[in-house]
Amino acid sequence: MGRRLPQAFFALSLLALALIVAAVWQASTPSWKTYQRQFLQLEAQGEPNAAAKAAVLATPLEIHQVLLPGLQRVDRCTTCHLGVDDPTMKNAPEPFRYHVGLGTNVPSKFGCTICHGGQGLATDQKNAHGNVDFWQTPLLAKDYIRASCGRCHKEGDIPGVPELAEGRHLFETQGCRGCHKLDGVGGSIGPDLSEEGASQRSPEWLEKHFLTPSVVSPGSAMPNFHFTREQARALTYYMLSLTNQDMGTYYSSLRTIPSSSYGRELFVEKNCIVCHAIGGVGAKVGPDLMGVTQRHSREWLDEQLVNPQLVYPGSAMPEYDLDTNSRKALVAYLATATSEDAQLILSGKKSTLTPEDAAIEAGKSNFARFGCAGCHGTELQGGVPNPNAQGGQVPSLLHLSDDYTKDEVIEVIRNGRMPPLDNASGPTPPLYMPSWKHLLSEEDIHEIVEFLWSKQQKAKDSW
Amino acid sequence: MNRRAFLSWGTAGMVSLSSAVAVSMGAVARFLMPSVFYEPPQTFKIGKPGDYAFGVPTFLVDEKIFVFHDRDRGFSVASAVCTHLGCTVAHFQSDQKFHCPCHGSVFAADGSVVHGPAPKPLNWFEVILARDGQLQVDKDKIVPATYRLMV
Amino acid sequence: MNLIREIWQSIVRRDPLSTDKGKSELVFLNVWLHIHPAKVKKENLKFKHTYYLGFITFFLFVILVTTGIALMCYYRPYPAQAYQDMKDLQFAVFLGPFLRGMHRWAAHGMVVCVFLHMCRVFYTGSYKKPRQFNWVVGVVLLLLTLGLSFTGYLLPWDQLAFWAITVGTNIGSYAPLVGGQIRELLLGGHTVGEAALLRFYVLHVAVLPSMVILFTVVHFWRIRKDGGLSRPVWKLKAKKPEGLVTIGGTPEVAQLQAVPASTDKTYGLMEVVTGKPIFETITPEEEEDVAFSYPFAFFREGVALMATVTGIMAISLFFHAPLEELANPAKTPNPAKAPWYFLGLQELVSHSALLGGVVAPAVMVLALLAIPYFDRNPSRRPKDRKLAIWLFTIFVVVNLVLIVIGTYFRGPGWALVPPWVHVVAGAE
Repeated sequence: MGRRLPQAFFALSLLALALIVAAVWQASTPSWKTYQRQFLQLEAQGEPNAAAKAAVLATPLEIHQVLLPGLQRVDRCTTCHLGVDDPTMKNAPEPFRYHVGLGTNVPSKFGCTICHGGQGLATDQKNAHGNVDFWQTPLLAKDYIRASCGRCHKEGDIPGVPELAEGRHLFETQGCRGCHKLDGVGGSIGPDLSEEGASQRSPEWLEKHFLTPSVVSPGSAMPNFHFTREQARALTYYMLSLTNQDMGTYYSSLRTIPSSSYGRELFVEKNCIVCHAIGGVGAKVGPDLMGVTQRHSREWLDEQLVNPQLVYPGSAMPEYDLDTNSRKALVAYLATATSEDAQLILSGKKSTLTPEDAAIEAGKSNFARFGCAGCHGTELQGGVPNPNAQGGQVPSLLHLSDDYTKDEVIEVIRNGRMPPLDNASGPTPPLYMPSWKHLLSEEDIHEIVEFLWSKQQKAKDSW
Repeated sequence: MNRRAFLSWGTAGMVSLSSAVAVSMGAVARFLMPSVFYEPPQTFKIGKPGDYAFGVPTFLVDEKIFVFHDRDRGFSVASAVCTHLGCTVAHFQSDQKFHCPCHGSVFAADGSVVHGPAPKPLNWFEVILARDGQLQVDKDKIVPATYRLMV
Repeated sequence: MNLIREIWQSIVRRDPLSTDKGKSELVFLNVWLHIHPAKVKKENLKFKHTYYLGFITFFLFVILVTTGIALMCYYRPYPAQAYQDMKDLQFAVFLGPFLRGMHRWAAHGMVVCVFLHMCRVFYTGSYKKPRQFNWVVGVVLLLLTLGLSFTGYLLPWDQLAFWAITVGTNIGSYAPLVGGQIRELLLGGHTVGEAALLRFYVLHVAVLPSMVILFTVVHFWRIRKDGGLSRPVWKLKAKKPEGLVTIGGTPEVAQLQAVPASTDKTYGLMEVVTGKPIFETITPEEEEDVAFSYPFAFFREGVALMATVTGIMAISLFFHAPLEELANPAKTPNPAKAPWYFLGLQELVSHSALLGGVVAPAVMVLALLAIPYFDRNPSRRPKDRKLAIWLFTIFVVVNLVLIVIGTYFRGPGWALVPPWVHVVAGAE
């Protein structure tokens, strides 16, 4: 028998006891309990009598969580941020302060992380705020939180966040899709941007990148578009809103906000003025829509927009297949519509186009939408740097007809090509003409060429 | 080492070991007790008082409750879970009673058993007005059928 | 009172200790004293003989089963849920990080201890006759331990898990003809996905543990039947063993065995087989060297158990098991590494797929299994078996060096990078 065996046994059992007690102590004293006690103290201060105070203080300490199966997340932020939905906590210190201006976007339905970022499942500050290893989306800086509105509201105008609509507009008109894919459409010279908002790149990085790509990404093929600060901010917002996450049915129904400004957009887009008048301004095929929201209930109008035949069998009004919020937006616009506004809409409408002009218009829009403008310029001026190719620049398209026939140009668009090298032994130029035949129909290509040729005419005239 | 010393060290060791084992078992029991639930919470908000029409009870499917809004007497919330074997009862507007589809239990408008195998009346839950102006139901707090919240 | 006595009687099943029958039945009827012999040789209790590595390995397995069952209560083997459950263990479950830590560190500890135990058995020559087959059982247990650790590696479903298993299973797919099919069978698909997670879970919580328990029972039983632990090398007499007779041996051998009325212990098995037992028996002059298993062996084992448990607890209190981001099949970390005990193989694979994926593991396993049958040298004394010791030491050192290189000296692109140089992966 070893002489010191009983002592060793005693020492080890004592150590085991100490260790398990330490582990239990460690597990029983998480930081969120401290915050909850502080909050209860704060709440108890507002109570009138001792009994009510005691009742508040006796509230059990527990992890609070919001289950959001539709957003595929569980947010435990309210374990510490206990006053987010309590207006009496307006002036409380963080983390207990009331969240002003939430409107209908209450935490119980949306959680917190969908807008703010961070790690919803975590229950200590460092991990929850997400500035830890192995967590990709830390809290968004204050300046950029509003970009998250675009994660649900993917279309139309978002009141209070003009940056998103502006960013989307820039993306579609500056030729970004020439190099970048978004939701499956676009070129493959640059990275796919469908999940840019969920990537590890910080908002600051994105913004710098839009101002001067080479600063944060040396050697990038991305040309400097000389965006203004506002434009760079708008594009950054738009990028941050791109997560490509499956939002579930409920949250997908929030794509558009039923604002009257979006309703007006729809009113213009769907050409309602062709049949309807507002206060006597417009056509007389359908009824005048002035004051229609007073004549009929919202439900009636909604039903009419879903299925005109149901309300008035034989009605000439077509079905427009609008989603719930779009219908609400239209009704919201109709409630505020005036004859002056109808006049504005009418004057904004162009006179009827000839088929040739229509093709050129369509070509122009294709040229912007599919990203040709990204390299060739919105005015076909070219000039984007492309080392070791054709004098180091993407060529201008203004004198295309001097060297090519329409059919040759169609061939180049269809199949793409590498630019001729200045120096055969030099590096491969970063930019090249991609093949478009899988993305553009023959008609699309034809329209683009018509558009190019229309510009040629003007260029020759100006010589 | 003599036998006595051996025994005393050993006994002391056994004592601390037993306490360590006892603490560990308590800790494991606590470990198995869930801290968070992946089910609808027991305390939840059900919207503003104005969302509820007078007279006809509103059935909330996920929460399994009936919300009654009486013009004169205010809000009351009844459980839709039959006290017999836990099926979900339906409220018939025709006779103002709750009917259980499983074994035919029928409950009166105040939740008391009219007939059928149900042993107890339906539960009524506490409903209060939260600080943000929403109604808040707490399923852990059972109240008498006469309980009303005036808003 | 009578009822209580009857219940007690039914539990202990023996006569009162005041009778001689009762005293003997205390031993005969006790299950623990049948896993152990009633008496053990004192010298075998010496720490420096076995370092208690076999026991420690077994105790680690007990810790793993206990904590594993607790963790199963919070685990769903489905990708997104599995990862969320890990986060819950980390943030919301009382004692979750501690128990997960214990499971993780005990798992690594078991791989280490089972290997060290094997080294101890080799260096003391304890695999030699009559213990050859128990060495084989031990090698099987080593492989099962690696399998348990490997299958458990995937369950958190984080980047570390996903890519370690992707790389690890691809090492195996280099086996000719069947490699690809075996990988497909194991993963239930062509890539690591939902099916793979479920299969690894089934292997990890049901198949492999029950096999370990089965083989452990055999391992322990054979230790007893082979005459307990081998004697410490320093106790070996210069020359001896002769006249050992094998039950069920060849007829010629059986004939040699004239059974003298000797002072040695003899067998009378069902009055059919007579003779001396197969194992090293205790001769009368050695009788004084034995001690009762209870309390002498039991107490030491208890202390070893306590030391193991407290060690694992202490580590888990201060170091939590790692958890990386959710597994992302579209984003390979650079470098992607297999679990550390397979990094030696991955290192070899990086030079030659055939060598690392097929030849090396096959040769290693076969060589380990064959050791007791190829080593014809009957002596257990180190100075008689220099060659064997050299060869085994080289095997161990090469393994360790490859693992250390794979673990600490391989950076992005599997380039040789010393651990003190920090390389930012994916900076391109």
